[in-house]
Formats: sequence, structure tokens, C-alpha cells
Amino acid sequence: MKMEYSDKVMEHFMNPRNRGSIENPDACATEGSPACGDQVKVFLNINPETLIIEDVKFQSYGCASNIATGSIITEMAKGKTLEEAKKIDWKEAAQALDGLPPIKMHCSVLAVDTLRSAIKNYELEHNLAEKEEFSKKVILEELEKIIYPQVGKNLVELKMVKYVGFEDGVAIIDLYIPEFDAYRDNIAEEVKEHLERYPEIKDIKITM
Amino acid sequence: MRERLYFNNCLTTPIANEVMAAMEPYLLENYYPENFNKTGTKIVEQLEIWKNMVAKTIGADDKEIHFTSGGTLANNIAIKGYLLANAGKGNHIICSVIDYPDILANAAFFESSGYEVTYLNADKEGFIDLKQLRESIRPETILFMTTLVNHTVGTIQPIKKIREILNSADHYIAIHSDACEAYGRIAVNIREMGIDMMSVSGHKIYGPQSSGFLYVDKKIKLAQLIHGIKRLDDLQTGGISVANIAGLVKAIELIFQDFHSYHSHLKQMSAYFLDKVNSEIPHVILNGPTGNSRAPHNLNLTFEYIEGEAIMMMLDYYNISVATGSACASQGLKPNYVLQALGKTLEQSHGSIKFTFSRYTTTEELDQLIIKLKEVVGKLRENSTLQPDK
Repeated sequence: MKMEYSDKVMEHFMNPRNRGSIENPDACATEGSPACGDQVKVFLNINPETLIIEDVKFQSYGCASNIATGSIITEMAKGKTLEEAKKIDWKEAAQALDGLPPIKMHCSVLAVDTLRSAIKNYELEHNLAEKEEFSKKVILEELEKIIYPQVGKNLVELKMVKYVGFEDGVAIIDLYIPEFDAYRDNIAEEVKEHLERYPEIKDIKITM
Repeated sequence: MRERLYFNNCLTTPIANEVMAAMEPYLLENYYPENFNKTGTKIVEQLEIWKNMVAKTIGADDKEIHFTSGGTLANNIAIKGYLLANAGKGNHIICSVIDYPDILANAAFFESSGYEVTYLNADKEGFIDLKQLRESIRPETILFMTTLVNHTVGTIQPIKKIREILNSADHYIAIHSDACEAYGRIAVNIREMGIDMMSVSGHKIYGPQSSGFLYVDKKIKLAQLIHGIKRLDDLQTGGISVANIAGLVKAIELIFQDFHSYHSHLKQMSAYFLDKVNSEIPHVILNGPTGNSRAPHNLNLTFEYIEGEAIMMMLDYYNISVATGSACASQGLKPNYVLQALGKTLEQSHGSIKFTFSRYTTTEELDQLIIKLKEVVGKLRENSTLQPDK
């Protein structure tokens, strides 16, 4: 398993682009939590006519790859329209850094997710998008953000999700993770963290 | 000045030049002692002298010293050997939640094999709960295991008090101690401390990797764990590197020829560095105890509002080695279990950095470290999502 950071990760980590904050930004979002060890905050200034991201800044609490991915996504988003920026995905961001160790792929997901949340917040505020009704689709999208550390791919991609249901405020998730898997508890914990912030979800039932 | 500033001596220490020199003859003429020839008989005699030298450093007899290929092997030979030899006497073991992984992994193994294990809690400074220890003793309790100096926060367990408590039982409870962090850094006398078995690792005292010894009190019987031809030792049968033993003994000799000044050097380095940190960097928490109940080489500090892997990697970029308790730097993505058991928050674990010093550490090196550390902490804090309440 590749463990070492690429030179490009180290370069962005040591000299992050677009670091800091924007006073009175047009949009901003924070994702992740310090208790989990990583958090990213993205600030955007957007031209209301062209919907181009004219300025972007980020702050981060997290490891070297968290900082490097924060840096790269701001670099990638700057000058793009909201539609274009929304399409930046975590694999692309990781590739732009010449790859990340599999165990660090979740950093890329978090950075991209924060950028998308900031864009979404802008769209909601400016009536460019409607608030999506909560359904099991949202749960599935959240599971796509959870990376299995050993291989650096998400749970859905790895066919580790056997069943997802949402009934009367209860999210039911059945995962395929063998009992001896070292990351079993971590993943269950992460699924909970991802779903807990949705007020629509009153209870989470995970079976493996 | 070394190219890399190394402050991770808890992981492993650099090998001493004198140690390498002491090993060389045995690498070039690597004969086994069993041979009844000039070299073979010479090594047998030499081994006795070496065992005697090692024994003296802990107040033991030479027959109680067994050379092993490292600390983990010594731990396994002792724990498994003792429990197997005493299988009929009881099936209850006591250790603590903050013990070194060798102890915890052995405890888990025996738990899965039908033994009962009590994991004692620790207080916020890393001292195990003695009241809980007293209450945990049962007629079936046969073994107490402890990490004499905690590998994360440097807490020295009050082993004499522990022995007194264990002695209050109606039957004998043996103590096995992992002393890999302790030996050579604090004074250890096994009779005064009431320790029955103790493991020591060579590569944490400037000796070669895969070297170490196990002390076993002569009244203790261990079941044979490793079966095979008896070469150098009856507990670890088979081949043990004579060169590694020679290196280990040289490393021990170097430490104990002037233990007092070595010990005070480590103490001075820690005090010097802690003082600098406190005056130069705000929002820092010392994890673990202060004063004489802390091992002299260990400082575990939390830098608030930032994450430890980033601190470690940025220092690494500047050729400075330290360790962190952050989940992001662990293979299992879990925060350090010792800091968690001490009641630290997840953020405090993630932001922790462990600095461990050696006999080669100098104040000049620490001055360089503090300059870089201040820069790194400042840079990371400047762009952190977390900020102190103003």
C-alpha cells in the first residue's frame, strides 16, 4: 500500500493556495468535525451575473492531505462557473495532487464536499436551486462520501452497501463488512457522523 | 550536528558507535557457544560475564537473566509461559487500559481463550487506579501486568505500592512488567520493586534492534514456549544473535557507567524544552504527570486548535522527527488510546505530539526545534477553522 505523500501534496501542504477567509463572503460552508480529526471551511465570492467564482478561500483543521486537498480544490474552482465547479469530483482533486495514499482519500471527499456545500448554500439563498426533499437517495449520496481506508474507494463503489432504507425517520443501512475487518467500527462511526446532521433522521440502524 | 533532528527515541534510539564496534567481532566470527572449540567455549564464558553485568543493573542474579530477540518476544515468553505454567492455579489476570500493546494483545489473547481480564482505569495523569486494583483481586488472580513507564505519557507506575496491594491477597500474585521504556531511563531494582518478570528492549537504549532481555525471578517457573535446540538460552531456544547480545551489553554498560549523569541529562533536556515551549508558544497542554513520577525523556504536548499529523509532517519536511497521537497518523485511523483513557478530548488527542529525548540530544538541537515548532504551529493555527475564544 502506498503510504507516502506525493511531492505535489507536500508542496500544497507547505504552501497552500487561497488560504484564509473572506470577510462577508457571498457563500460559505463548513464540513467535517475536529473530533473526527478534520474540518474544512470554504468561502466564496461569486459574480451574480456570470455565476463565476471570482474568489475562493479555505481554512482547515486537519492533516497534511486535508490541507493539500483544501488548497487544490480552491485552485480548481477559482474562475469556474458554479455549474463547472460543482462537477469537480474527489477523484479529480486527488489526481491533481498526483494521487493520495488510499487511507487519505477521505480528505479529498471532504474538501470537494465542502466546496459543493458552499455552492449549494449560495444557490439556495439566491433561489437557483430548491431544497431537495429528504429521501433515501440522500443517504446513499452520503454513503458515497465514505471511503474505505484500505483501498481509497467509497462504500457504494465497493458494493459494501447491501441495503438502504428510510422509514418514519429511521435510516436503515445494511453493510457488507466482515467481522475481522480492522476498519469495521470506524466505518460504522463515520456513517453515523454523516447521517446525524440531517434533522430528518431520528434514528440510525446499521447492520453488518 | 546530525542532519536529522531526532526526537522519537521512544520508538527507537540511534545505535551507539561503541555498540557497533562491540558487535563487529561477533559478526565477523559468528560462532555458536555450543561448539566445544576455542571460540565456542569463549562465548559461553563471555555470556556468563554479560549476564552478570546485566543482572547487576537491576539487582538480580545472573541466572535470572535471559537474552531474547527483543522486548515483544520477552513479553510473550514471560506472559504466556507464566500463565501456561500456572494454568491450574487461576484464570484471572489484571492489567490496565493504558498498557503497551504487547500486554494488551496478550491479555486479549488469553481473554479469548477463557481467561478473565480486569483492565484497570487510569487517572488523568496516567496512574492506574489502585483502589480498583485492590477491589479486583480474587482467589483466581494469578498475574498482574504493567507497563512500568507508560509509552505515551511517561507515567512511572507506583510499583512498590502495587506490590504491597498484591501482597495483601491470601495467595501469591506475580508481577510482569514491560520495562522497555523504563530500563536505562529510571532506576530499576527488581527486589525493591517486587517485580517477578521484566522485559527490556535493546533498541530503546542505543543497542541493536532485535535485542533484549527478560528477567525472571528464580522462584518463578515458566512453561517452555519456544521449543527447539538449546543454544544460548533455555527460554528462547534456537539461535540468538551473539553480536546483538554483545551490542546490547555494550549499550547497557554505556548507560550504567554513569547512570546518574545520563538520567539528569534527559531531565535537563525535557525541562529546558518545556520551559521554552511555555514561554514561546501559547495554548499548549502537557499530557501526563509532572515532576519525579514522569520518565525523564518524555514530553507529550497538545497544541490546541491544530491537528498533530500536520505538525508532524511539517516538522518532517524540515528533517525533524517527532510522533503524534492523532487518528490521522495511525493506520487504524483511531486516536491514541492512552490519551483517550486519560480523559483527553478527541481534539486534544489529535493535536498531541510526543517528543522523546536521548543522550545525544543537545540544547542547540532543542533551540532549532523550538524555532521550527513555533513557525509550524503558527502557520497551521493561522489557517485553522478552530480559533481560541477571543
